[in-house]
Amino acid sequence: MTMVQNRGAAALAGGIGASGWTRRRLPALARLGGPLAVYAVFALLIGLPLALVLLQAVVPGLFAVDGAQGLFSAEPLARIFSSPSVAGSILHSLELGLLAAATTTLLGGAFAVLVQRCDIPLRGAISLVPWLVFLTPSYLKALAWVLLMSSGGYLAQLSLLPPALGASFFGLGGLVFVHTLSLFPLAAFIIGSALAGLGSELEDAARLSGAGPLRIWLRVNGPLLAPAIVLSFIATFAEVLSDFGLASTIARMSSFGVLTYGIYAAASDYPVDFPAAGAQALVLLALVLLVVVSDRLLRRRADPHLISGRARPARRYQLGAWRWLVFAMALLVAFLALILPLGAIAVRALTSTLGNGLAPDNFTLANLGAALSPDTPANDGLMRSLFYAGLTAVITSTLALLLSAQLDRSSAVLRTAVLGLSLGAVAIPGIVLGFGYILVWNRLPGFRDWPFPHYGDGSLLVMGYVAAALPYCLVVILSAIGQLAPSLTDAARLSGIGAIRRLISVTLPLILVSVVTAFLLTFIRTVFELPMSQMLIPQSGPPAPTLILKLFSHDRDGLACAIALAAMTAAGGAAALIWYPLRRIIAFDRSQPPGIPAAPGEPS
Amino acid sequence: MNIKTTLGLALGLTALSIAAPAGAADLVLYDALDFAGPVAKAFQAKTGLTVDVVEPGSTGETLGKIAAEGNNPQFDIVWLDGSAVMERMAADHVLQPVPAQAFDKIAWTDLGKSLIPQSHAFLPTGTSTTAIEVNTKKVKADKMPKSWADLQGFAGSVAAKDPNLSGPAYQWLAGLFQTNGVDAGKELLARTLTNKSLSGLSSGGKVNKAVLTGDASVGINQDSAIFSKIAAGEPVVAVYPSEGSVSLPQGLGISARTQHMDAARKFIEFVTSADGQAAMQNGDDTDFFYIPIVKGVKPKPGRATNIAYTHLDDATASAHETEWKQWYKDKFVQ
Repeated sequence: MTMVQNRGAAALAGGIGASGWTRRRLPALARLGGPLAVYAVFALLIGLPLALVLLQAVVPGLFAVDGAQGLFSAEPLARIFSSPSVAGSILHSLELGLLAAATTTLLGGAFAVLVQRCDIPLRGAISLVPWLVFLTPSYLKALAWVLLMSSGGYLAQLSLLPPALGASFFGLGGLVFVHTLSLFPLAAFIIGSALAGLGSELEDAARLSGAGPLRIWLRVNGPLLAPAIVLSFIATFAEVLSDFGLASTIARMSSFGVLTYGIYAAASDYPVDFPAAGAQALVLLALVLLVVVSDRLLRRRADPHLISGRARPARRYQLGAWRWLVFAMALLVAFLALILPLGAIAVRALTSTLGNGLAPDNFTLANLGAALSPDTPANDGLMRSLFYAGLTAVITSTLALLLSAQLDRSSAVLRTAVLGLSLGAVAIPGIVLGFGYILVWNRLPGFRDWPFPHYGDGSLLVMGYVAAALPYCLVVILSAIGQLAPSLTDAARLSGIGAIRRLISVTLPLILVSVVTAFLLTFIRTVFELPMSQMLIPQSGPPAPTLILKLFSHDRDGLACAIALAAMTAAGGAAALIWYPLRRIIAFDRSQPPGIPAAPGEPS
Repeated sequence: MNIKTTLGLALGLTALSIAAPAGAADLVLYDALDFAGPVAKAFQAKTGLTVDVVEPGSTGETLGKIAAEGNNPQFDIVWLDGSAVMERMAADHVLQPVPAQAFDKIAWTDLGKSLIPQSHAFLPTGTSTTAIEVNTKKVKADKMPKSWADLQGFAGSVAAKDPNLSGPAYQWLAGLFQTNGVDAGKELLARTLTNKSLSGLSSGGKVNKAVLTGDASVGINQDSAIFSKIAAGEPVVAVYPSEGSVSLPQGLGISARTQHMDAARKFIEFVTSADGQAAMQNGDDTDFFYIPIVKGVKPKPGRATNIAYTHLDDATASAHETEWKQWYKDKFVQ
């Protein structure tokens, strides 16, 4: 048995066992330095900008143009809570978040099990689906579904849409449907990475003791995966609450007001209603923290450390004829989540008008031509975004790795705080964080005169991207590190190997897939990150998402769809270029069965 | 490689590659108008002065950015739809008055003269108005609406922008209350905008989309957006209401903190010159279909200019702005 039980409560962050020994070895400064660095990074990237926005819910005059007033006032909060539309949108957000988190976790979990543990046909191609879905930003998918489902949209033009279905789509049902199809990759990644670390030995042991597959999943794998399932639920809940892409399209079209749209509406005017935006952001954050904290309170039990030096890859289930049914279901998900929306975007990119639909003379290559020719604003924006995203991915995954290693050795309190803050940050609508960044770096004395990063430059945009991506990277890498048995690094430490080298030579190779996953997630998300790009748009030129959105709001959705298509292809291609060689190396390592000597000439 | 080295390298790379020196350009322009990019390019070609064009998205999003920058604005000039918001920014000393000489140099049309604000908070560069957008596939020629009042006949199928999110939409609302009377106007809207999913849209693009997809038969939209769709071959027409239309000027404002007053002045001069006006029409999107207000400049082909205007009483409109916007939100949004 390689599982190491631990008394710590944290789902993600793992053990506290090794910390005492380490602490005695480290000089006092370094001992304090670690946690301080963690706090400082969070405070600067997320805490301070967020605090400035939230603070205005109770100190409305903080950034008044005619001089700051530090007077406390409960007026904004009272105004927010007495407004029927805000109360309605709180309920809507909560209802939508809980429902969509449940359906998303279910679909994502099923998909992960299917891809990793069943012998379905075309497994390789199907396992690509979540990644491809993840490539498409939510605002594009929302638009695609509007193009498809509205009463004069593509499905109606093809007479494939019963009017009743079209009408009921623009409501809670349609929102849950699109959110589930759009977010299930997140759940599949979280649950899948836990599943990968599970190995098969516990399952084998149960099977040898006579347990059937159902019993094994209910009594062995299920409980072991519970932290990942709960994490997936919380993460998708936070995602849905903070989503703006669907809120501004499908939700808006169905008068299903949600909190993010309320914040946006309060923040898109001159003067901005900062107190209202802050108060609604405060409510949003409180909802997410409520879920995180209640999870902590309800689930005060030990969490397993699963990856040891001796785990072996799991066996796949032979489904027999059933595999074709399962395969068909996977294809249906791929069709609804990917092919249909992408098809709608591609058709829109290749046609000149929406109203004339699929008529042959409506097709044109003009949009794609404009998006791909060099020296056009569209192409410049695309190149800029790929560059910013690459840089952001390098910085964020490195930072997340360093922080995770630091956190894994830290106290449970710090880990819980960081986890809460990370998930809270996922739930912060980007527009709120973006406003916070402007307030810190353009208004706050001391910050506004710093040369680097500087508001209006690419440097601050990259910093904003890092802040938006760090919580995700941390969740992915922390959960991988948390699964490592301390015995692995203990051995290295006892041999006198320093902390940094332990991280590079022991920890990093074991969690390389997770680190690369974090890198690619960040890269792809950043190419399409919208609110930060909008708020912190560099004066030297706009990144692709700002351009796409601008084109949409100026009603040039054909060109916008063409740029989006090009951006997805470029980001996907770049990700594949990194992923496939690496995957091959890892697959090669794993394909060497344990106990069998390496081939002659190869290092064993 | 040491991880600290990697991190250091990454940060160094960031610093080197993207720390473009702030304020490198001669002018920083914030805008939400389609033609700003082409005009800046033409200006650059003619004068050699560089312009950084910053376009965060819609008018509302641009305003949000300006509001967040507060008393430390980063733009030199701002170019937007809507006169009321420009006046507000001037009142907050975010904008400074445009120098009087700039107005004197221009050969204004009569319409142009009527748009010049007394405060000189902004310099009008063109205008548009609100019209009824009709989907000709959904509405037969003999059933076309002719007035705001006729829209009752399309109750539940009328797309409209939320005045809380759109400056031009507020000017339409205030104009409607002026021409039809406040109480009668409120009753008319209550009978017309019975479908909340269509009556609180956030941009003209969304009104277009609702009308083009057939979710709505008619829409209340900026007329330049309708002409741009007609030029693109979409099956819509623009109908001007018999009650009269309120003008929606586009204005250029100058930041109170600009360090580039000379360049800003040159930009204003260029915009109102023949070359500048030509650049403002060098495209096919909404804003290129503006109504020129400088003598001798013709609009883009297809753009109607023979419109019966009513002059909006700005004082009444701004006095009731908060109240009427809130009323609209409570009645027709969410």
